[in-house]
Amino acid sequence: MLRVEHLSKSFGGVCASRDVSIDFPTGSLTAIIGPNGAGKTTFFNLISGHVRPDEGRVVFDGADIVGLSSLEVVRRGMARAFQVASLFPSLTVREALTAAVVSHRRGSARVFTRFPVAAAGRQADEIMDLMGLSPKAKVVSANLSHGDQKLLDIGLALAMDPKMLLLDEPTAGMGPEERWRMIGKVHSLWQVTGMTMLFIEHDMDIVFKIAQTIHVLKYGAVLAQGNPEEIRRNKDVIDAYLGTDHRLSETVGEA
Amino acid sequence: MNLEALVDCLSSASCAVTQVSTGLIVGMLLFLVTSGLSLIFGVLGIINFTHGAFYMMGAYFAFTAYALTGSFLASMAAGAIGVGLFGMAFERLVMSRVYGRDILMQLLVCYAMILILDDGVKILYGGEYRMMGMPDVFALPPVEIAGGFVPGYYLFMVGVALAAGLVLWLGINRTRLGKIVRALAINPQMVGALGINTTLLYAGVFGLGSLLAGLAGALAAPIRTLTPGMGVSILIESFIVTVIGGMGSIAGAFLAALLIGFTRAFGAIGFPLFVDGLMFALMALVLVVKPSGLLGREAA
Amino acid sequence: MRSGLLSPGLLRDVAFAIAALALLLVLPMAFPAPALRDFLIYFFAYGLLAMSLNLLVGLTGLVSFGHAAYFATGAYAFGLLMQTGRVSIPLAMLAAVGGTALVALVIGAICVRLKEIYFSFITLAFQMFIHSVIVTWVSLTGGDQGLRGGIPRPPILGLDLNDARVLYGACAAVFVLCILAMRQVSQSPFGYTLRMIRDNPARANFLGVDVTAMKLGIFVFAAAMASVGGLILALFVSGAYPEFAFWTTSGEAIFMIMLGGTTIFLGPLVGTLLLQTLNHFVTIYTEHHGLVLGTVILVIVLGLRRGLADVVYDWLQGRRTTRPNTPAGPTPEGAEPAPLPDGALKSRIV
Repeated sequence: MLRVEHLSKSFGGVCASRDVSIDFPTGSLTAIIGPNGAGKTTFFNLISGHVRPDEGRVVFDGADIVGLSSLEVVRRGMARAFQVASLFPSLTVREALTAAVVSHRRGSARVFTRFPVAAAGRQADEIMDLMGLSPKAKVVSANLSHGDQKLLDIGLALAMDPKMLLLDEPTAGMGPEERWRMIGKVHSLWQVTGMTMLFIEHDMDIVFKIAQTIHVLKYGAVLAQGNPEEIRRNKDVIDAYLGTDHRLSETVGEA
Repeated sequence: MNLEALVDCLSSASCAVTQVSTGLIVGMLLFLVTSGLSLIFGVLGIINFTHGAFYMMGAYFAFTAYALTGSFLASMAAGAIGVGLFGMAFERLVMSRVYGRDILMQLLVCYAMILILDDGVKILYGGEYRMMGMPDVFALPPVEIAGGFVPGYYLFMVGVALAAGLVLWLGINRTRLGKIVRALAINPQMVGALGINTTLLYAGVFGLGSLLAGLAGALAAPIRTLTPGMGVSILIESFIVTVIGGMGSIAGAFLAALLIGFTRAFGAIGFPLFVDGLMFALMALVLVVKPSGLLGREAA
Repeated sequence: MRSGLLSPGLLRDVAFAIAALALLLVLPMAFPAPALRDFLIYFFAYGLLAMSLNLLVGLTGLVSFGHAAYFATGAYAFGLLMQTGRVSIPLAMLAAVGGTALVALVIGAICVRLKEIYFSFITLAFQMFIHSVIVTWVSLTGGDQGLRGGIPRPPILGLDLNDARVLYGACAAVFVLCILAMRQVSQSPFGYTLRMIRDNPARANFLGVDVTAMKLGIFVFAAAMASVGGLILALFVSGAYPEFAFWTTSGEAIFMIMLGGTTIFLGPLVGTLLLQTLNHFVTIYTEHHGLVLGTVILVIVLGLRRGLADVVYDWLQGRRTTRPNTPAGPTPEGAEPAPLPDGALKSRIV
């Protein structure tokens, strides 16, 4: 579905992405992890057309999409949700989702019909069901709880009928219980829709529990990749996360 | 459209020199006004729509001071410092209350202030044109340069504007205070956390920007007719200069102000009816080709 | 839920419009003072200016400071066409509106790419350009003196517009029709797309909305609606004046929508009514109109901090969950616009 080859990007001398090559097969559920400042969000920005890479190719659904605007990338079927929920504060959940569906169906410029258009409204209702937002349909986005805002953010991306969904830290800013609920949603979403999904996550327990494949970034480069079991045992990854101090204490402990 | 006249003028030294000097002083006045506008925007993040009215006040303050004292120096000081203080008071009493609110509110407050100032001038000085006249100090024969004649006052004006621009540039880029002000533009919380009185600094920057407009007004007073509505046209021109030069760039403002000055001076001969059109065409061109302006960085 | 042109929403709005038109037509019969009729025609003209400006400010979050430019363009184009003596009023109206839309398309194409305050001052600059064209092009526009010689009013379908009552009725009908058109646009999918853009343009873009094209669309439509206001005024005063295009006219329009509030669809009309009443009395008692108006604005903006209608609206909504009433203001926490790329500091440089 998506393949990046030799992707590089620097911001004023700081290398945010360094020769990254990863393949994301159709229907896979992949996690991107890495310490703070590892370039995870930059990686998302590069593939979603928000930031243009200095070098490298991004092949999505068989075509190189480097240089396309984020708008064109969305229209080709790659949608994303944001680390900080990016919503429309004054619209209700239903209005926002319906407007997003209308936009995806190229109906944004229609002036002779009334909002909400029936067909788009039905799809919005389905998304609300899927995300468990139906009871909140008439709540103004700004008044939603933090968790519901994140759900709506993902819902908006789903309105694009995406072939691939990028989730930037779906559990950011949540308490432990809420995290598991959220990630359960994400997992079932993947099972129900069969979409290719890619997510950034901090919480190791969550990543090891649901991801099929994990890629670890550090200083903009791929440090390791593999299935959860391989990553768990990878020395480089342990170092990157816990520092060499950790190994010292480990050896001391063993001694 | 009269291109022949333009060619004739360019080939005659006296005409060319006269037009160049006219273009220079128009450009210098615009530069002073625009750099004040730009300074305020750069640090406070607001467009001071009353800036043109401050220019007008500078001219009237200078007019009054000159009528009272007969001293040109006093008239300049009254224009610049008077408006600077007024600007500080305006920032404290009015503008500071709409920071962080709708742009709509900022616009309205400025709109209200312009109405009040224009009407105030009308009440104090009457609605008709006023002339300050050339101060005695400058009652000299014009200076001959390359076959053309330039009034001594023009040279003085250019000198003052250049000096003001240089002081501003040095002040921002080479002093500790300038460094603080630049930091204020980027991260006001941090500056506040360092124990610096940001409230005072904001008022000071606003006052300094206003002072530049007042200075321009005072410099213009001897050579312009004073009317209550004189601020609007210079405000619009300084917008155009800002766009062409690039928001926040003092060097860009200087370059663009000269460009507009010369456009006005030579346009007045070549196509007198299309001077405004030419300025707007220039602005539109810059907006299409390089939206951030000639020397500006990323558009705000 | 049904949709399409026959949706209950539209039917309700049409019914409301018919009732409003009936009321407007009955009003001068009930109180047959010519002053009331004149007052209302001014109200139609400036009401359309304010309502159309609110499509930009309230609906899309584009604070234009140069909207009166199109009001004036409509007035002048209409007046000039009628003075040729060869066009009927409806045709001149259509041509004036179309011509204004074209002007707005060119200016808008440049302006809508700019953000926030930049947009405000470039729209103002272009307005002053149009003002300067009007003042300089004396042979066409009459310059400072305005379009002189009167605007002829040939009869339409046997209706004699020189009869003050007929003229009033025609203006009222056009006014109500335009308000209805604006209502339809604001309630259409396009209208909701504009709300998305107002709330969060970056996210709207990520959802496949062509933000620039949408902004340009509403810019042109709002200009066309403003031009109808201008041509109503030109028809009524039988002339057009450069003041129509002066920046103070835009300033007044902004004050009208602030007074009436941007939250409610018809709010700007309330503002128009309030400001017009104020102007009416101020001009009776003093010649220092600017001083009084300026002071009133300062008191309201700094004291009340929002529109009168917003205050009433919030009071009515009292215990219900309210929508944020300053859509153009800072977004509430947790709903910020899309994050910037890593390390990108949105700095302003001195």
